[in-house]
Amino acid sequence: MTAASLPGFPRPRIRRRELGLLLVVAGALALGNLSLGLTRNGSLGLVDPAGLLLYLAALAAVHLALVTAGRRVDEVLLPAVGLLGGIGLLLAERLPQDLVVQQVGPAVLGLASLQLVWLVLALVIAVVVAITVRSDRWLRLYKYTWAASGVGLLALTFVLGTDVNGTRLTLDLGPVSGQPSELLKVILVVFFAAYLAENRVLLADARVRVVGRLTVPPAPYLLPAGLMLALALGIVVIQRDLGAAMLFYAVFLCLFYLATGSKVDVVLGIGLFLVGFVLLALVFPHVRDRVATWLDPWADPLGTGYQTIQALHAFARGGLLGTGLGAGLPTVGGQLPIPAVHTDFPLAALGEELGMAGVLAVLGCYLVVVARGLRIAAAAADDVRALLCAGLALVIGVQAAIIAAGNLKLIPLTGITLPFISYGGSSLLVNGLIVGLLLAFSDRGPVPPGEPRRARQRGGGGR
Amino acid sequence: MDPLTLAVWAIRLAFLAALYLFLALVVRALLRDVRAASRDPAGALGRLVVIASASLPAAGSVFPLDAVTTLGRDLGSSVVLDDPFSSARHAVLTFRGRGWYVEDLGSTNGTLVNGVPVAGALPLGFGDELQIGDVRMRLERGLR
Repeated sequence: MTAASLPGFPRPRIRRRELGLLLVVAGALALGNLSLGLTRNGSLGLVDPAGLLLYLAALAAVHLALVTAGRRVDEVLLPAVGLLGGIGLLLAERLPQDLVVQQVGPAVLGLASLQLVWLVLALVIAVVVAITVRSDRWLRLYKYTWAASGVGLLALTFVLGTDVNGTRLTLDLGPVSGQPSELLKVILVVFFAAYLAENRVLLADARVRVVGRLTVPPAPYLLPAGLMLALALGIVVIQRDLGAAMLFYAVFLCLFYLATGSKVDVVLGIGLFLVGFVLLALVFPHVRDRVATWLDPWADPLGTGYQTIQALHAFARGGLLGTGLGAGLPTVGGQLPIPAVHTDFPLAALGEELGMAGVLAVLGCYLVVVARGLRIAAAAADDVRALLCAGLALVIGVQAAIIAAGNLKLIPLTGITLPFISYGGSSLLVNGLIVGLLLAFSDRGPVPPGEPRRARQRGGGGR
Repeated sequence: MDPLTLAVWAIRLAFLAALYLFLALVVRALLRDVRAASRDPAGALGRLVVIASASLPAAGSVFPLDAVTTLGRDLGSSVVLDDPFSSARHAVLTFRGRGWYVEDLGSTNGTLVNGVPVAGALPLGFGDELQIGDVRMRLERGLR
């Protein structure tokens, strides 16, 4: 093997496909910015050219860093994520800047500046992880430690967290505040992957008969799965976070199916979740309110149903091609019709201004991320890594699907973010981490990581 | 139509067109990958990677596996092991249903999986290490 394949001797490797796609992304974002500027100012010019240039420069820097590192990592993920992030930035520039204001030292940053800062930080995390992570041993060896730390994080949020909009998700620790459930989704995927890979054959083949031809895996091996169901329902009850519960459980079922190939178990799992959900809706008022709003938002059009109705109107105003960036979302009495448009309803804003064509393109980008993740999983060297990669990609895809369906009133609305597009520091940073891990694990390098030293020496002597 | 409205429309449509151009290029790249992978069906079930060996096969060699793969010193074996501690017909790897199984064919020095001697047919997971004589191999997932 050549020196380039040995760790410590990186040789730059040109990434032509990534460069080409990034150029298309840059062109698309510039056109979007131009469209927004033309609508807003009536003259040909960019809105906030510094912000756009900074973001494109960050993408170019990530590309150059990956070229310099010389690893054979995926070339499609970065452009796809870069386009989604750029659309999020466009949206942040288009919305009123005083939606989120934060004082950083002497400077007061508005929505677009903050979004740009978080996006660049997320890209930095992604590229650092993509270049430095060579082995997944630190993830798979300590799976119970990771699971315990995840549950601990959840408990900490419950005890020390602060309530925002009736859900207890935000953890304030002095200067740092964040939403731990965002990090929890990565930790849980690590645990699922390790647990399912270990028990794959047992879960699929050692079946116990229940009724007739219906069989389930033996109880001791199902215990972790049962705990997951309990955890998901616990999050609904204690944290009042319906979205995170749906996300965790859906990703778990997907990985269970990938690991065992058993359709019956997945149908059973969905059935159990629905039964649990109905029971919860009967017992807990906040779940019942969500479901009632979903079934009939017009029952309380100025209260609980307000945002949902406004989102539906926004989609309807958008039509096929949209009203154009900057031409939608009229303010009602000096206020936005959808107060949480930058966090929970970015898809409604995109649907209004870019129309169905734009929404489908954005959803297509998420599909690309998932397809790429599954491709990386299919090429992975062993089961743990395959399930890990599939799970990481599915977290992004399923989360986008849940909030998009919520925006469109297909399922009850939940307060999770649209990955890479919604405003939110924790969400962007964690998604950056996910992209970084996917990139790192997509490395098709000729030397597998974590080789014992003895093997390499003897291998050299053998030739 | 005045020129401003025209320009607004042109740029709006160009933006949407650019989004779809991006998607089309990505889909083309994905399809190309899938085609490249399906053109080479060998080793779809799994691969055996030699991680350490004192003789042939050399460390670093990769063997795409068929559903039944025999290992041994016999030249008729699917994977020929030129190792002094290997028997002529040493072991067989079989893909049954969902996973791989390894079976020792009554060899003189035995077959080790992750350092443990094999008795009967033992399920072999991806990432497991197989040792015959001085040859250490790892079972890896196929390329597809």
